[in-house]
Amino acid sequence: MEKQPLKLTVNGREYELYINPKALLVEVIRDHIGLTGTKRGCETVSCGACTVMIDDMAVKSCSILAVQAEGRHVRTAEGLEVNGKLAPIQKAFLDHGSYQCGFCTPGMLMSCEALLKEKPTPTEEEIKEGIEGNICRCTGYNSIVRAVEAVAKGNYKEE
Amino acid sequence: MNKYSVINTHVHNVDGIAKVTGRAVYTFDVKLPGMLYGKILRSPHPHAKIVSIDCGKAMEFPGVVGVVTGKDTLGVKQGIWRRYQDLCDEQILPIDKVRYIGEPVAAVAALTEEIAEQALDLIDVHYEVLPSVYEPLDAIKKEAPEIHEGFERNMNVTRHIEWGDVEAAFEEADYIREDWFKCGGQAHMCMETRAAVSSYTPEGKLTVYHSTQSPYYTQGLLAGVLGLKEGHIRVISPYVGGGFGGKFELDGAVFCSAVLSMKLCRPVKIVFTREEDFIATKRRTPMSYYVRTGVKKDGTFCAREAKVFTNGGAYTGMGATALYLTGFFHSFPYRWKGYRYDGYRVYTNTLPSSSMRGFGAPQAMFCSEQQIEWIAADLGLDPIEMRRKNAHYEGYEVPGQATIASCGIDQCFDEIQKWIKEKGPLPSNRSIGISACGFMSGGIFNWFDSPYAFSSAVVTINYDGTVELHVGAQDIGQGSNTTMAIICAEALGVKVEDIKVHSGDTDHCPADLGAWGSRQTLMAGNAVKMAAEDAKKQLLEFAYAQSGSNIIYDLDIKERRVHSIARPERGSDYFDLVKKVLRGKEGQRIVGRGYYTPHRKGMISPAYSYMLQGVEVEIDRETGKIRLIDSLTAHDCGQPINHLGLIGQLEGAFSMAAGYGYLEYMPYEDGKLMNPNLVDYKVIRATEMPKVPVAEIDTYEPAGPYGAKEAGEGLTNPTAAAIGNAIFHAFGVQMKECPIRPEMIVNALKEKKAKEKKGN
Amino acid sequence: MSEPVTCPVCGKKAKTGSAIDCARHMFGTGDKVHRAWVEAQGLSFIDLLIEQATTPGNKSYIVLAEVIEKAQDKSRP
Repeated sequence: MEKQPLKLTVNGREYELYINPKALLVEVIRDHIGLTGTKRGCETVSCGACTVMIDDMAVKSCSILAVQAEGRHVRTAEGLEVNGKLAPIQKAFLDHGSYQCGFCTPGMLMSCEALLKEKPTPTEEEIKEGIEGNICRCTGYNSIVRAVEAVAKGNYKEE
Repeated sequence: MNKYSVINTHVHNVDGIAKVTGRAVYTFDVKLPGMLYGKILRSPHPHAKIVSIDCGKAMEFPGVVGVVTGKDTLGVKQGIWRRYQDLCDEQILPIDKVRYIGEPVAAVAALTEEIAEQALDLIDVHYEVLPSVYEPLDAIKKEAPEIHEGFERNMNVTRHIEWGDVEAAFEEADYIREDWFKCGGQAHMCMETRAAVSSYTPEGKLTVYHSTQSPYYTQGLLAGVLGLKEGHIRVISPYVGGGFGGKFELDGAVFCSAVLSMKLCRPVKIVFTREEDFIATKRRTPMSYYVRTGVKKDGTFCAREAKVFTNGGAYTGMGATALYLTGFFHSFPYRWKGYRYDGYRVYTNTLPSSSMRGFGAPQAMFCSEQQIEWIAADLGLDPIEMRRKNAHYEGYEVPGQATIASCGIDQCFDEIQKWIKEKGPLPSNRSIGISACGFMSGGIFNWFDSPYAFSSAVVTINYDGTVELHVGAQDIGQGSNTTMAIICAEALGVKVEDIKVHSGDTDHCPADLGAWGSRQTLMAGNAVKMAAEDAKKQLLEFAYAQSGSNIIYDLDIKERRVHSIARPERGSDYFDLVKKVLRGKEGQRIVGRGYYTPHRKGMISPAYSYMLQGVEVEIDRETGKIRLIDSLTAHDCGQPINHLGLIGQLEGAFSMAAGYGYLEYMPYEDGKLMNPNLVDYKVIRATEMPKVPVAEIDTYEPAGPYGAKEAGEGLTNPTAAAIGNAIFHAFGVQMKECPIRPEMIVNALKEKKAKEKKGN
Repeated sequence: MSEPVTCPVCGKKAKTGSAIDCARHMFGTGDKVHRAWVEAQGLSFIDLLIEQATTPGNKSYIVLAEVIEKAQDKSRP
């Protein structure tokens, strides 16, 4: 299939790409832009390892074509920190040990971030529902829930 | 009060920032210049002769650079139990025949993954289909097809454990119960599927990026199958996306990529799809258990006899170990006057079964802990007190097998009793089930036939006081880098931030058997402690000379302060000392070395962890659906080292163990896995996890560094049994098969009702 | 009382040196040479194994232990 040009805004930067229009967003982020934080863990849109944020919404980037993200703001885990300063959710993950092998972590962080944007003070149930689409094989999820609760409580408020 | 400065304090995982910022590079992410992408063609038949493979059309397909089959390999039959050549039975790319659906038969390297995938369809394999067999009891029949030449009746391995006069012990029993169980397999389902990038260069050297639990094993095994020297193979294991026992043998990704790379002299990357990971990577061993147990009417355990068949699948892998350990831990954590275990591993034409977190113990406990609960009910005894009176204790010798040097199980019983009492009466659709267990902290065996110490470490102190810690121990997410840094910092007397951990590279790190069998905290930890103390000694030698203090005074370093132990207020700075020592050593960096191999530590392990878990379950009578409400785990791992890591391991183990108990069903039909995807294979999600609080029991294990034992694998053992026991207490039905699916509960309830009606 | 039993195939003294331990060792090792010895005594290795696997009790190990014991007596002066 003929390649076509595509402009994608990822983590606040505009990338000019030349891609196969059938390419999934996760493929373009990883292989064309070179941001390998976002992972893939399945072929059936089930595991959430590829979760990114598109205009503040958590989206499994294996479930949409890259062209569908044109004109939107895509955010990956690499975009959480600003000039080396970690985002509250990242600090919370460090404090609570909310990761082990780390493979699901980038996607998990984006689901958490999107959840907090939508519900700044979620209940425990709401947090669990917010990350239901992300599989973690290592942590058993509870430390992730604790991290989100800590952020929601304001423990990492920036001055 | 914590007597340690670093140990068991709240330490951030040392790899944390890399992981939470997306910087961590996994084999899944590795890209090398000139790299090709590989794909594997797999057998659609469970058992067939490979008559011919025609790769001509595939070779001609634009973008394809090379194709390999078994004929391009040395044909070496390899296996991880190198000491037992008979059990090294797997060619990975077989030459003569295939033995399970999904087995690799050819591999293609191409410019893109898509091209490689398309080229697979162009490889023409001519099979002669053979009869196949899928269940152990069918495979041992006289008429069953022979899967491996020379293995009569498909008997792969047998293991036998026995102590005491079993017949006499049964004679002493007032009550004898026998039950049959069926334990399912389980998929490791690592978030990172199997992945490898192999790069062979004209110097005759091979560099392999491998998602592995043991770079040393990968190196050694590749050397064996490729005809290379170990020293000419470099294995780099950057961050690993989970292992759980599935990633310390050779897999199709690393083998096929290496063979392709050696043929083409270009880097080749192979990453398994999730489906491939399900159908073509070894799984937890399914087992059929027959258990006969005799007890006195006051609940004293007399005798137990178990006969177990394990479904070995097509190859041995680590299955022989699972066979042995299941029989050993089936006796845990109790004293038996007479105990007999006969284990038989049988070849079948299914996915090979191997090691998975728990290593045969989850299966063993599912059977043992449920039967014990039923015995208590039959005799009208309190199930916790019955367990308590028969439990291990410090100093107990499991006859001929092990001496228990530390054991906190008794306090575990107290904690669970307290928890149950505090819960009080439960709503009618909820119940609590408990399960005890114990586990090993690394095995004493050396079937890999390694000439190296089981674990080694090198500590190097730089001029500025920062410390390079080189270990062979592999971090696969369990946090071993952090645990080793903690032990090093404590032993040396500095802070974790001063330590830089180097692991996952056979070129720079010492050999280590790797992350399996719960061995690293104890074994690598001991090596690290020894190395750090060696380095510290060199610093203190100089400090003694400089201080000129009387020989009766001892110096130590703690929190970067060199001081007299008797007079801690008198001290000097660690950083200053390092600079002086370096000068004194003519500019040579201070290097400490450590190593550990267990000697004279019994037949299984230097140390055993203990635990008792209670799970509160809600069961819907109509649908049989299970909901986990709450839990408590009383846990003895000796001295906890990495506090955050420990909590994570506990909660994570619970999620995997619960999955084995009621979710992760792997149905096979005619040798084919029916649900090789994450839609149909159910792993636990955040919404299904209960709270998993832990009650830490304080013990001190003399064999472990600072008294530490394993944590994280033992905790995978009790949950399936606890869930089964909860169902028993709710409805009085006995679940003899795991994972326990809703329809099984519904059917059991129907059967019970029918029986009761008949009785009336 | 009696000397420890050594394996007639590989000479190893299995665990406590009892005949039953030696029988266990033979079944556990299960390699070609050990099997061949068992077959040469007129027993079927695989049938003994299957019997041990599928019936309660220790019959097969006892049978083999007795044969091993007899073989020891033969080899002693």
